[in-house]
Amino acid sequence: MIDRLGTSLKDALKKLAGKTVIDRAAVEELIKDLQRALLQADVNVKLVMQLSQAIKNRSLEEEPPKGMSVREHVLRIVYQELVKLVGASGEVKLEPQRILMAGLQGSGKTTTTAKLARYFQRKGLKTAVICADTFRPGAYDQLSTLCAKINIPCYGNPGEKDARLIVKEGLGTLGNAEVVIVDTQGRHALEEDLIQEIIDLNVLTKATHRWLVIDAALGQQARDQAKRFHDAISIDGVIITKMDGTAKGGGALSAVTETQSGIVFIGSGETIEDLERFEPDSFISRLLGMGDLKALVERAQETVTEGEIDVNAMMRGKFTLRDMYKQLEALNKMGPLKQIMSMIPLGNVEVPGEVYDVTSAKMARYRYIMDSMTGTELDDPSVLSSSRIQRIASGSGSSPEEVRELIKYYKNMKRALKGVRGAGGKFNMQRMMKRFGGM
Amino acid sequence: MFEGLRAKLHRIQEGLSQSIESASDKESVPPAEHQAEKEKGVTIIGKVKVLITDREFLINEKDIREPLSELEMVLLENDVALPVTEEIISHIRKDLTGSRRKIGEPVDAIVAAALRDALLDVLGEGFDLVSYIKSHDRPVKILFTGVNGTGKTTTVAKVGSYLKKNGFSVVIGAGDTFRAGALEQIDVHAKRLGIKIIQHQAGGDPSAVLYDTVQYAEAHHIDAVLADTAGRFHNRVNLMNQLDKIRRVMKPDLIVYVDEAVAGNDAVVRAHEFEKAVGADAVVLTKADMDPKGGAAISIAHTIGKPLMFLGTGQGYDDLTPFSPDQVVGDLLSEEAQ
Repeated sequence: MIDRLGTSLKDALKKLAGKTVIDRAAVEELIKDLQRALLQADVNVKLVMQLSQAIKNRSLEEEPPKGMSVREHVLRIVYQELVKLVGASGEVKLEPQRILMAGLQGSGKTTTTAKLARYFQRKGLKTAVICADTFRPGAYDQLSTLCAKINIPCYGNPGEKDARLIVKEGLGTLGNAEVVIVDTQGRHALEEDLIQEIIDLNVLTKATHRWLVIDAALGQQARDQAKRFHDAISIDGVIITKMDGTAKGGGALSAVTETQSGIVFIGSGETIEDLERFEPDSFISRLLGMGDLKALVERAQETVTEGEIDVNAMMRGKFTLRDMYKQLEALNKMGPLKQIMSMIPLGNVEVPGEVYDVTSAKMARYRYIMDSMTGTELDDPSVLSSSRIQRIASGSGSSPEEVRELIKYYKNMKRALKGVRGAGGKFNMQRMMKRFGGM
Repeated sequence: MFEGLRAKLHRIQEGLSQSIESASDKESVPPAEHQAEKEKGVTIIGKVKVLITDREFLINEKDIREPLSELEMVLLENDVALPVTEEIISHIRKDLTGSRRKIGEPVDAIVAAALRDALLDVLGEGFDLVSYIKSHDRPVKILFTGVNGTGKTTTVAKVGSYLKKNGFSVVIGAGDTFRAGALEQIDVHAKRLGIKIIQHQAGGDPSAVLYDTVQYAEAHHIDAVLADTAGRFHNRVNLMNQLDKIRRVMKPDLIVYVDEAVAGNDAVVRAHEFEKAVGADAVVLTKADMDPKGGAAISIAHTIGKPLMFLGTGQGYDDLTPFSPDQVVGDLLSEEAQ
């Protein structure tokens, strides 16, 4: 459904191509598709209307700069307005600080607290957490289990019912930590006593930052909820969680607008490392259902040491079994294939579902099989004859069927990547963004 | 919940009525003798014919375009997902366009009926858990599924308390062996409620835990088994396979899909995926107290096409309201809004 929207947006953009004067009807169609895409992504209805009005006015009134085609002109306006809407990434300073976590029930505060602790710990800061959730059973067990895994001190007292008291004691006990993160219980805007509690906690902790945790799936409610939290403790950063699902996180934008702050982090998985700094460009891409290459390349650079994987070679269509081997090796560090693929601007290319449906166990098996191949075979899989397949199968302790399955998988993969390259030639959001990023 | 939607719906209803009213006022009665060939949509001839012969008035699509597009915005603002909104609108449009109104018949009634039909159509029927358990072989095995953080564990506790109050014996299976603290959480709930709980160690196989729970229930003649599971995203093949295995092993009588009322458009996507992967017989919508709008209820109910069983309306064990579509729609369209 969402892919279909992305496509219709692209179709609308296509109609603008080659035009020398701004075509009112084409602009209106583009805006209508844009509205649909943004509404589907849970962006606030009023924000969408404001945005589309601004885009429409500017597209029709502003003269395209010399040498810029109509389509580029309109695209630039769309992009600029979207950037304005999304806002810059919130600031995260690597210095001693206290962070108060706030959010609705089940938005992922506790998990995010542990992930944040891990983030600051990796940056070399002495970090500790306090569990001030006195309501939900098991909250302290959850946080202390997560923290024990990464050696972060966690203060809490499941027997105590007063969150204020716990925080007071916790701050005393953890006095020498540079970064203290206070996890709180979930609450929502209509619960007056709980809102009062978090106001008290804010005063008590003298928090440097008050971050609001927002579920990517949160809908139009985001605005009202964020407003109440902001009124209570003046939120200065937003964290979007559960971005590894299919939700687009548009609800968080209303939170950003309402609190006049920026998105600081994105949570995108269940393990403690799955926390990314917010990148406006890639967020916009996901919002519109258009991929983002930048995020992929950056991610690859961060977690995979140099030379391990050559994204550019992959994009050129030069994809050998050797590349696939490296890719499988890097897979654990880079996250599931689908996540990576979703970041590549695939254009209109349909990636066959079976490419994704490969379990990690199978991935490991594929690697053993490839370990039994010769260099020539890895570089040029077309030489694989049935006798070679037989040899590889017995060498790797697998069956010829499994080897053939691997070859089929490789071919699917290659075809998918070829499609990426083809789509990139015609229209490439990423290229556009890069170009306008510098302006 | 639903207050916001209700107030807005009233305005729309009035707007629709007015447009139709004014459109019918404009209608003159020109002498026209052609007995129209065929009524292709709403032609002038058709209108006139109806007016003359039946003293009725045909509602034109144009007459209701504006209030309908306003209704569309209202539904979107209230978290009804885009596809569902479009369906409701087209349902009403189809209902109203070409429908005949006797001169003098109140317009409100027609509009209200169309809205009511459209909403009831998407909301479907409610689900009465108590009578379901009464009319089926015990133990009735209920499996709770859903994505992370929607409130499955809390809902299991609430349903447990609800069933106990209704005189059933209950056992809970602690199937969330993944999330840190989940076992402690459900254990505390069960102890507070005085409900027997079956659990294994953290990291164990949820299928095994739930199988044991069913065994226990059979041996002790328990009425209902409530099986909690770990939250999982619908795009994780492995986790969905695990859920499928749970289903095969414990053979639940009911699969209850849990989602939150505050979810936006993604509610549709994931409801659909869960329904596709393991099926769903009923839906529980949590955190309804956070959301005065209630649009997600409409989206999810419509997408799954499965009845809404309960609304979760707070943090206490009693904050669980059986869902009745008639009542909700009646509420939405009632005169004494606000």
